Amino acid sequence: MRQTLLGALGIALFLVLWEVIGRLQLASISWPPLSDVLVMLADPDRRPLFQRAIGATLESTALGYLWGTTAGLLLAALAHLLPVMRRGSDRLAAVLNSVPSIALGPIFLVVLTRESTPAAVSSIHVFFIVFVSVSSGLQRATPAHRDLFSVLGADRLRRFARLELPAALPALASGLRLAWPAALIGAIIGEWFGAPRGIGILIINAMQNFQIVLLWCAVLLAVGSSLLFYGLLTLLERTAYARFS
Amino acid sequence: MNAAIAIDKASKRFALAGSSEGVLALSDLSLQIAPGEFVAILGPSGCGKSTLLRLVASLEQPTGGTVSVNGAAPGLVSAQHALGVAFQDHALLPWLSVHDNIALPFRIAGRAVDEAAIVRLIELVGLRGFETARPKQLSGGMRQRVSIARALVLEPEVLLLDEPFGALDAVTRRQMNVELQRIWSARQITTMLITHSVDEALFLADRVVVMSGRPGRIVREVAVPFARPRSTAVMRSEEFHRMVDDLTGALDS
Repeated sequence: MRQTLLGALGIALFLVLWEVIGRLQLASISWPPLSDVLVMLADPDRRPLFQRAIGATLESTALGYLWGTTAGLLLAALAHLLPVMRRGSDRLAAVLNSVPSIALGPIFLVVLTRESTPAAVSSIHVFFIVFVSVSSGLQRATPAHRDLFSVLGADRLRRFARLELPAALPALASGLRLAWPAALIGAIIGEWFGAPRGIGILIINAMQNFQIVLLWCAVLLAVGSSLLFYGLLTLLERTAYARFS
Repeated sequence: MNAAIAIDKASKRFALAGSSEGVLALSDLSLQIAPGEFVAILGPSGCGKSTLLRLVASLEQPTGGTVSVNGAAPGLVSAQHALGVAFQDHALLPWLSVHDNIALPFRIAGRAVDEAAIVRLIELVGLRGFETARPKQLSGGMRQRVSIARALVLEPEVLLLDEPFGALDAVTRRQMNVELQRIWSARQITTMLITHSVDEALFLADRVVVMSGRPGRIVREVAVPFARPRSTAVMRSEEFHRMVDDLTGALDS
């Protein structure tokens, strides 16, 4: 309770400071007061613009999230079941993660379409996080449970389906939570390579045309949608921990 | 004699970093358990009694000698889903209900779940009404009952109990002993119980084998004369006390 109160107080203080600094122009002209940003966000004339942008970005993010999760989950499971693949898949994941996504963008642009580049960059981000969390999660079954399955004569697949996979679900849920903001960043970066619309495009346009308030609107939209889904995924993670560990 | 469990001059040496010899956990140990016999292995911690059980459970391989269950290698018996086991750590799956935990051996064996058998066992271990509860919602004693029901559900050829009540308080432990005695009397499965409690060993077993450590070997074997079914009255008899003193002495020597 006290924690929540202090947290709320901190956020309120932050917002008031933002407003005051902007109002008194203590920083620079690129720091608008919060109220100006909120007024523009609520402006009915601009609503279609914002809706199209956030809609496009969320669509790419969701697609990338889905593809990245599927790929990460499958590769982690395969590497777990086929020890031959373990080293190779670890390295593949590490290499993919060490390549900055900004460098991958142009390649995707050549290989894929402008519209699908955001989802592709996003899926790369998600893939690595899900792969790592599931790989470690699949090791999480306790020695006593492993012994039990051995004595009961479990074969490899049943051990996987009935012990290792359920035991990995909390780790997967943590991965899914962490992967959402990464997916969103991936989509926004991907949009910079020429997507027709999206929050990333809005950011670039506002920046190049020096529409400071609009730029902050775009950033707030990105932060808001990131936090919303992060919160929902935190609930999912809690459920997974309560149920599977 | 056609033994259900035959351990013949079994040795087990564990590798140890920085030591070329490793640790000798068991040395030339021989033990035969007859079909339907309940044998308790009694010994201080670290005497290798759990290692002995792990050899029979095919969780470890002997480095010398042989171990067989009904004439076959333990690994084969385990692959045929004919071993029942309960550990000190109940090892229930936290995401499964009581019913599903007891049904697990059927699913691992790829057999149809025998619902009637599960109902009978839940009844036998006194957990009716808790079928849908999760392990987290149960007390320590109840968890061990589930674990014992799970060990029995496939009607195994051999039941292996590795200090199943070791983590329970003294009162619950005594109650569980009474219950296990009752459950076992109903089935009479060949059983190997690992324990460090003299009372528990004498109350439950047909034969008590005392081990001594470093390396693990048998120092004493005692046949238990009490008729079954046994009640707690047995534990108050003079004969029982005399045997407790005797076995405690063997443990200390």
